[in-house]
Amino acid sequence: MSIELKNIKPTYMSDAEISASDIYLQESVKFENGKKYLIIANSGHGKTSVLNFIFGSNINFNGIINYNGFSNDDSLDYRKSKISYVFQDFKLFSDLTVFENIQLKNTLTKYKTIDEIYTLIEKVYLGHKKDSFVKNLSLGQKQRVAILRALCQPFELLLLDEPFSHLDKENKLIITNLINQEVQKQNASLIMTSLVETNPFDFDKILSL
Amino acid sequence: MLIKLQKRTIVLSQIIGYALVLLVGVTILLLVTQLYFDIKPLLTDQTDVFKSKAAVISKNISVFKSIKRERVYFKNAEIDELRKQSFVKNIAKFNSATFKINAYSNKSESIPVFYTDLFFESIPDIYLDVKTDEWKWNASLDFIPIIIPENYLNLYNFGFAESQGLPVLSKNTISQIEFNIQISGHHRTKDYKSKIVGFSNKVNSILVPEDFLLWANNEFGRQNNINTSRILVEFNDPSDKNILKFFNENNYSINKEELEFSKLVFFFKSALIFVFVIAVVIIFISVSFILLSFNLIIERNKELLLNLYNIGYNYTRIAKFYQLSISLITVFSILASIIISYSIRNYYLAKIINLFDFSIGKNHILLLGALLILILGIAYNVLIIKNIKTIVIPRKNK
Repeated sequence: MSIELKNIKPTYMSDAEISASDIYLQESVKFENGKKYLIIANSGHGKTSVLNFIFGSNINFNGIINYNGFSNDDSLDYRKSKISYVFQDFKLFSDLTVFENIQLKNTLTKYKTIDEIYTLIEKVYLGHKKDSFVKNLSLGQKQRVAILRALCQPFELLLLDEPFSHLDKENKLIITNLINQEVQKQNASLIMTSLVETNPFDFDKILSL
Repeated sequence: MLIKLQKRTIVLSQIIGYALVLLVGVTILLLVTQLYFDIKPLLTDQTDVFKSKAAVISKNISVFKSIKRERVYFKNAEIDELRKQSFVKNIAKFNSATFKINAYSNKSESIPVFYTDLFFESIPDIYLDVKTDEWKWNASLDFIPIIIPENYLNLYNFGFAESQGLPVLSKNTISQIEFNIQISGHHRTKDYKSKIVGFSNKVNSILVPEDFLLWANNEFGRQNNINTSRILVEFNDPSDKNILKFFNENNYSINKEELEFSKLVFFFKSALIFVFVIAVVIIFISVSFILLSFNLIIERNKELLLNLYNIGYNYTRIAKFYQLSISLITVFSILASIIISYSIRNYYLAKIINLFDFSIGKNHILLLGALLILILGIAYNVLIIKNIKTIVIPRKNK
């Protein structure tokens, strides 16, 4: 999926707050098909906002976003079926188990088999926790579940909002491999946000907000 | 999974409360409506029994009027005013005898000897229940047929005869008995033979043929100017509520069973409407309560619903569980109401059939219940989907 952001600016931020940005108020910012991007900024600079604007869950911005030529006004369903998102706050259901949280998404997409889901859970060292309620997991464990869930759908763009913030080195490596495999398999684009510069995915471009 | 997740958001006690209140409201509504349809032919049949929808009216007698007799008479203006009322089809004046009347028996073994003062009145023949060939008067014949109220006979049979050890008389027997009538006035008297030729439920008076009364008033009466103290009014519709209103306003009294019955019909209908309104209020409260409850559930679980939307569930799918829950509860509740209403209807029909002879009307309970399910179902489904949509679809902040 190729995306173009034109003169984007959050309505709740002043011009002074967003000075010297590679994205906000730029005439044209392109995210091309099959390429990987990193957006770096300090806290409160609107990293999550950019991803939410692209995903469509926040429409409080001025400017235009084009998705493969569609404008942001008429592509809600298109975005929902083509974009997968690892939310910074995970958006997991604490009263469901690890498996149920992933399966809740997979029921919609029917993208993975149950065995494949179990294999993914095993790979990120959560096999023993697959039937545990998410409310009883640590932040790192929750983050792994959220990433696995995002991989259970066909996508053309994967949004990762600080996906490794609670992961140790080993888990970060495992997760990076899983994401890379899926992105390559689906020939998808990837946009990741981070507080610091990092390069787990061999990014094509790094932008700062 | 989705159901498991959303099931936790429902407050069971509120659902049960709604179902019970709805059950009560709908049961009352169905029963009252069905009762109306069941009783309606009974009320109509009863009023039709009286061929002419007529009632006798007079002025209420107060302390002043009992002293001053003129006040019980209807003035011509009052009669004209009455005639103008929309509910009045026709009116007829009662003519009263203005001469002295005595009745006495022949000395025979069949009836006790009696001698009594009487009064006569007359109304046009068309308003009489009783019509016999004997209801004729001819100046050449010394015979006057009379009609007495049926309750006079009852009074005699069950009151007087019982206490005095006299024989009980049937209508037929009493009609065979001949007695004498003596009328007097202007220093003249005249004797007639007489018989009771009929009994009336309609008019509480002793009636003689109008021809006779007009002639006799002329011959023996005290004055030429005949006053009217009672009027027979024929109505277009005796259950018209303006009748009672008009008569109460003008302080007229109606001594007619039929109008009492009409009053009863009016009160019965009013009571049904009152209960119907109460039922509608109960249903309205239960519907408002469950809608408020679901709005609170949606508001309280806004985060969860938004997350579902964000991971790809569209608002129709999210709303489905709540739509189904509320629809199923409503259907079960109304079905239970229908069953209860059927049972209660069967019970009261069995009672009514014992008391009255009438044909059982159509059963509207199922139709009305189905209509309620349809209306509430559509309303709930539309409102819930609207609320969920408002919650999950991103909006621009103002």
